[in-house]
Amino acid sequence: MSKNIIIKPLIAISLFLFIISCSKSDPVPVHEQEAFTLVTLEVTKVGSTETIRYDFEVEGHDHGHDHGHEEEEEEEDDHDDHEGEHTEIELEANSIYNVSILFYNDEDPLKIINITEEIIKEADLHQVFYDITNELSGSGFSIESATNDTSDSSGNPLLLKTIWTTSGEISGDVVGYLFHKPTSKTGTTRSDFGGAIDIEIEFEVHVE
Amino acid sequence: MSLFQNIPYLQESKLPKCKCSKCNKLSKTVVSLSMLATSFCFSQKCDLVLEGKVLDLHDSSPIEAALIEVVDGNEAILSDANGKFVFENQCSGKINLKISHLNCEDIYTSVNLNKSISRMFYLEHHIELLKEVILDESKTKKLSTTAPSYALTDLQKDQYSVRGLAKALEQISGINTISSGNVISKPLIHGMFGSRVGIIYDGIPIENQQWGQDHAPNIDQNAFDEISLIKGAGVLKYSGDTPGGVVVLETKIPKIKDSLYGKTILNGFSNGRGLNIISSWTKSFQSGKYFRVQGTLKRVGDFEAPDYVLSNSGNDENNFSFTLGQNKILSQWKTNFSYFSQEIGILRSAHVGNVYDLVIGIESDIPTIINPLSHQIIFPKQVNRHYTGSIQYSKRRESSGKWNVKYSWQRNNRKEYDIRRGEYKNQSAVDLTLDTHNLTTNYKWGGSIWSFDSGAFLQVQDNYSNPSTGIKRFIPDYIKARFEGYFTTSFSPSNHFNLGFGIRYSHHNNEVKKYYHYNRWRQENYEGSLGGFVIGDFAGQKLIGQRLIFNNLSMSSGVKYVIQPDLNLSLNIFHTERAPDIAEIFSDGLHHSLATIEYGNPFLKTETVQKLVLNFEKVSGKFRFNFSPYLTQGQNYIIIEPNGIEYTIRGAFPVWEYRSVSSLIQGFDLDLSLQLGKNLKLSNNSSWIEGYEKGSRTPLISIPPLSTTSQIQFSPARWKSFVMALSNKYFSRQNQYPNHNFETSVVENGNRVTKLVDISSPPKGYNLLGLEFHFGPYPLFSNKISLSLIFENLLNTSYRDYLNRLRFYADEMGRNIMLQIKIQH
Repeated sequence: MSKNIIIKPLIAISLFLFIISCSKSDPVPVHEQEAFTLVTLEVTKVGSTETIRYDFEVEGHDHGHDHGHEEEEEEEDDHDDHEGEHTEIELEANSIYNVSILFYNDEDPLKIINITEEIIKEADLHQVFYDITNELSGSGFSIESATNDTSDSSGNPLLLKTIWTTSGEISGDVVGYLFHKPTSKTGTTRSDFGGAIDIEIEFEVHVE
Repeated sequence: MSLFQNIPYLQESKLPKCKCSKCNKLSKTVVSLSMLATSFCFSQKCDLVLEGKVLDLHDSSPIEAALIEVVDGNEAILSDANGKFVFENQCSGKINLKISHLNCEDIYTSVNLNKSISRMFYLEHHIELLKEVILDESKTKKLSTTAPSYALTDLQKDQYSVRGLAKALEQISGINTISSGNVISKPLIHGMFGSRVGIIYDGIPIENQQWGQDHAPNIDQNAFDEISLIKGAGVLKYSGDTPGGVVVLETKIPKIKDSLYGKTILNGFSNGRGLNIISSWTKSFQSGKYFRVQGTLKRVGDFEAPDYVLSNSGNDENNFSFTLGQNKILSQWKTNFSYFSQEIGILRSAHVGNVYDLVIGIESDIPTIINPLSHQIIFPKQVNRHYTGSIQYSKRRESSGKWNVKYSWQRNNRKEYDIRRGEYKNQSAVDLTLDTHNLTTNYKWGGSIWSFDSGAFLQVQDNYSNPSTGIKRFIPDYIKARFEGYFTTSFSPSNHFNLGFGIRYSHHNNEVKKYYHYNRWRQENYEGSLGGFVIGDFAGQKLIGQRLIFNNLSMSSGVKYVIQPDLNLSLNIFHTERAPDIAEIFSDGLHHSLATIEYGNPFLKTETVQKLVLNFEKVSGKFRFNFSPYLTQGQNYIIIEPNGIEYTIRGAFPVWEYRSVSSLIQGFDLDLSLQLGKNLKLSNNSSWIEGYEKGSRTPLISIPPLSTTSQIQFSPARWKSFVMALSNKYFSRQNQYPNHNFETSVVENGNRVTKLVDISSPPKGYNLLGLEFHFGPYPLFSNKISLSLIFENLLNTSYRDYLNRLRFYADEMGRNIMLQIKIQH
């Protein structure tokens, strides 16, 4: 008798559990809108109206759709070279260029988010930095803040808009960083800035 | 089942308080009264003789000094050494009897005395002083009759009341702590942790271990009276998939009498400027009803290494539990609710962007971020909540069988907060909720020679990963249904010989829904293997719905032989089969603490492990020892290891992937103690272990190094209630480790340089000195008070721990001085 008293609720409870458990709906897809999936360098020679865009895309991103950008970089399955993506930026000698760096999330091609605006909004928490290898800087290649660049509350330029100056013919590597919560806004190499790396893009500059 | 939960082991410090000789021996003594009218008498005459015998229900041993009273009369008598009593010159008619026994619930009964009758009455001895019970008897009630179980003494348990379960267990040889920082830690038993170690609280297996290494068991050990463990899968009653070991936390069942008692512990400690208060109160009634409330409050600020503040390493805890129940002669019920809430700061400097940041962290001797000491917990942090509700009923049937049923629900929620940007700034990056419903039932029966226990376990589990985090799910959504059944038996023909055997079958049915990004899908060529499971296709992602079924069989057998009265030898063999965790199969995401991308392996199979443990123990005398070598071999043993590097616009990230290997783990634990006179005791615990992949002989990761702890304990005869102890823990450098170091190329000061990312090399060995003073207990009004003053890392040694995943960024804690006040109400 007591067995029945117990067993019946047990059966009922277990049935109940199985019923609720089986009605689970499909999870919704998550789009990481906060994540950087695309970084673009827009390079314009002073005096010219032609702007060349160089795109750097995150790995693990879908390339199956046409997003209208120029595809300058190599495909992502480039594992022999441990720098991964390898973009070459062609510049003319003894020239000045206006260069903008732009950050996007284009995971949802119908809803491309320009994260650059957010970085401007949180200027104090971010810093762009270009680390130029010695062969380039030795030949007179330099990157400086442009007059229309964004500055943070302490007046430090973020280097979102820069002026690139070339002199002699040379090739060399540049690493572009976006730091999040840097401890210093100025420095000559990555470790001077502290914080965490949000973006690390690497490209070769060809001055011809 | 509740009985099983209330068994302390090896609690030698406690002496029997019970004054009746038998209750010392008997766990749940049932007094049986057999009555015999010894002569035929005429009803109207008052010359009838009532003879009875008070017996223990379990082993039919007589019970002495039970008081038998004739209600409405003036007669009262005590049972003799054989449990017998005689009432002479009784008149015919109804006689009302009251039978009582110290610490037993009184029983009222009536006998119609008109002719010779023989009747049985059942009494349940009150469950009290289980400690003595365990020491002497009750082979059926131990966690295992053949595998040694290790328990923390009250002193050991209370001393670590602020440090979490893993740290408390670390006092037992062979147990280490695997941690992520100073607070998130899990017990590592014989080289195994996580879902290979079962943590059973109040008969319920804790369920959030499957979430991976960063997830500590969300449990307040202060809510439990007894903590014990078996190093091996010795408790098939609770789990069959935990080859590492089983940790059992239990609460005592209160006495059946009117009383109110409690315990309050107040801890203040210098390192972390922390305060912790734990209080538990129990009110019990004559009717057997009782309730118990317990709460813990903890506030800890940033910890300090000898040379700097470990910024954002503080933690807060608020825990609460409530129990209501009733103990009756033949039945018991109990309901329980508990709430656990914890906020843990993650070392600020351990939040890195990519491999270059990791390199900078490793290369820097001090953390890259050091802020002034603070009690505020900032991002990154972890917030854990754990709720449990349970209801349990047990009933004794016939003379020795006991049937038990329990339903429990637990919800684990864990939120991880990273350093994020913009609108996601205050949004957690991980938000997992795991709901688990368990239904267990078991039946125990048998006598003193043979005893049996058999039961069934039904579980339904629902894991939900909140998509509003805006970050892809680390662990996918799934529903798990589990059905398990077990049978264990023990054969004890004499006090010198025990034989045990157990078997557990388990059926797992997981229904998983997981998104794969196209890129990963293509890279791993999943179309061929998982393409059939695709149920949806959304911009850039494929949703698969997969049902994974595992059928596992685990077995254990052991023998224990008493060579001499003080020398025991036992041998236990465990065969366990463990279904891979969902995290091992499907995890997918980025760990900011190590700049690592973690991927599960969808093709993992059941992991089988065989473990053999030999135990040679001298249990009494001035010199005691316990030598316990073991050997473990695993097939499809699941490990996570680096496997390549992924390059993104966020930089380079090492990829860690799960895979399965054939493994071999061997080692020994050695405990020695020597009592020198009455005042001085020397002891030493040492553990050695090594683990390899079979074939390649590659060492396994996260295997603890050789360690040895020595202690001198001094208790001067002149001062009662004072003990001091000086201890030294030595951990050697782990020289056997898999080398997963890799190189990365970075630009530093305009030069391209190649950097070694040394994520493998273990830190050097270290010594930690500790000093403890324990005073008390002293009477204080109607309470008892004890004081402890504890110095940890007395010499303020700077060291790093191989088993701490954040060891790249900072030293461990420096000196800590803790004052503990314990009041027993």
